[in-house]
Amino acid sequence: MAAILEISGLSKVYDGGFTALKSVDLSIEKGEIFALLGPNGAGKTTLISIICGLVKPTNGTVLAGGHDIVRDYRAARSIIGLVPQELTTDSFETVWATVSLSRGLFGKSKNPAHIEKVLKALSLYDKRDAKLMTLSGGMKRRMLIAKALAHEPDILFLDEPTAGVDVQLRRDMWNVVRELRDQGVTIILTTHYIEEAEEMADQVGIINKGELMLVEEKAELMRKLGRKQLRLALLAPLAELPEALVGRGLELREDGSELIYTYDSQGERTGITRLLSVLSENDIRFKDLSTSQSSLEEIFVNLVRNQR
Amino acid sequence: MNFHAVRAIYVYEMARAFRTLLQSVVSPVISTSFYFIVFGGAIGSRIDQIGGVSYAAFIVPGLIMLSLLTQSLTNAAFGIYFPKFVGTIYEILSAPISFVEVVIAYVGAAATKSITLGLIILGTASLFVPIRIEHPFVMLAFLVLTAITFSLFGFIIGIWADSFEKLQLVPLLIVTPLTFLGGSFYSIDMLPPFWRTATLFNPLVYLVSGFRWSFYGTADVSVGISLAMTGLFLALCLTAIWWIFRTGWRLKT
Repeated sequence: MAAILEISGLSKVYDGGFTALKSVDLSIEKGEIFALLGPNGAGKTTLISIICGLVKPTNGTVLAGGHDIVRDYRAARSIIGLVPQELTTDSFETVWATVSLSRGLFGKSKNPAHIEKVLKALSLYDKRDAKLMTLSGGMKRRMLIAKALAHEPDILFLDEPTAGVDVQLRRDMWNVVRELRDQGVTIILTTHYIEEAEEMADQVGIINKGELMLVEEKAELMRKLGRKQLRLALLAPLAELPEALVGRGLELREDGSELIYTYDSQGERTGITRLLSVLSENDIRFKDLSTSQSSLEEIFVNLVRNQR
Repeated sequence: MNFHAVRAIYVYEMARAFRTLLQSVVSPVISTSFYFIVFGGAIGSRIDQIGGVSYAAFIVPGLIMLSLLTQSLTNAAFGIYFPKFVGTIYEILSAPISFVEVVIAYVGAAATKSITLGLIILGTASLFVPIRIEHPFVMLAFLVLTAITFSLFGFIIGIWADSFEKLQLVPLLIVTPLTFLGGSFYSIDMLPPFWRTATLFNPLVYLVSGFRWSFYGTADVSVGISLAMTGLFLALCLTAIWWIFRTGWRLKT
């Protein structure tokens, strides 16, 4: 697979001296959903803004579809669509007019059929003649996505696409994004909702304090860094951890009703069999058991915390 | 050249004018008509002719200039300030469009609007006052050149302004006084010698004078100088625009 976006040595120092990006290298394959995670102020929006031409890079280069975003900005930008974080709207315009404007701005000739298709896909077609100020927040968000799709981009940037969007709408939006990916559009999204990255992304990049800390296939990342927990609900609460169980990575919940065993799901030997036999030797019986895998969120929090 | 983008912005901006027809056309036409009635009809009937032209007819070119200037300025300034203010400018900055094309689209739309308005006011004036136009092509040239120049100036103000107050500041505090003191309502020969000299530093004197010459063939300063001064101001605005383009001033960090 060819890389559609190639970022090398990209850094940004703002006029005030704030370093927002420190030599970021990143390559994104065509047709994947890439989730960029990071705490507030990590540099996510700066990175997107540079690629889309809103912010000037201090150093480094970006190639979009093989075109340099500065030297060959026309070719580069015409294949990029951007959905900004803020719900910015020209309140007095209609949905149809603003989406048509977007298509023209990106150098495409009029195509009402395409605009109709985009609006229908985002359930906005009924609202095509409505003024933007009459739209709800969720509709405005979809309207911004429609604007970004009006010129049939190959790369779509979604900067916090589901901030302030209700659960149902978020799921609808995920479906739209997946459909786009299936059509071959490369999608790069930033998000606070790690659940979103976990649900959607093929690749995950974690950025903190302007540095790209890791880029990994999501499944691989979860596998590598994921820890599993086995929870045993005890039949009779324990006052304290029996001596035979100390030092095996076991924890007793405060009220003594549950034993929590944390293990590495990657390990050759998880130690579960051994644990269970020790439990029966000590006549500790349980009524229920469950396992859980750490979420991307926990992985993320751990990574970011370790860097501090 | 991204022709589609220029056209899209131009059409979008013109649509804005049609949507706000009352504010963008009707209100300036009505307020200018009051000038014709009050200064031309009521007061003008008691004033002698100036350079062989009745006072009511004398003030028409200056009044058209006044509307042309303020409308070009405010239209172009608002046109680019509004997207900056609400944030929709992101789309223009991320589009495959050069700054020159953005300027052509916005300034073109603003100039089209103010030229149309100038012609409507001219038509309205001819209902109140007998008007003759001795040099119609020069008249049109002044109209177009001034509209473009001041739309460029307005565009610069719109980029410079970071508040609505600043957006209003230049048209209200500088341009309107300069137009009133620029010989719209009198010939500068009527001023005492000191003020006559001082007035020559007012760039609008040259616009009003040249424009009036195209109507009645009389002028305070020669028409060649008027054209040269308009050209000079146009060049100044183009230089400022070029500098903004080079540095991304107030648009990109």
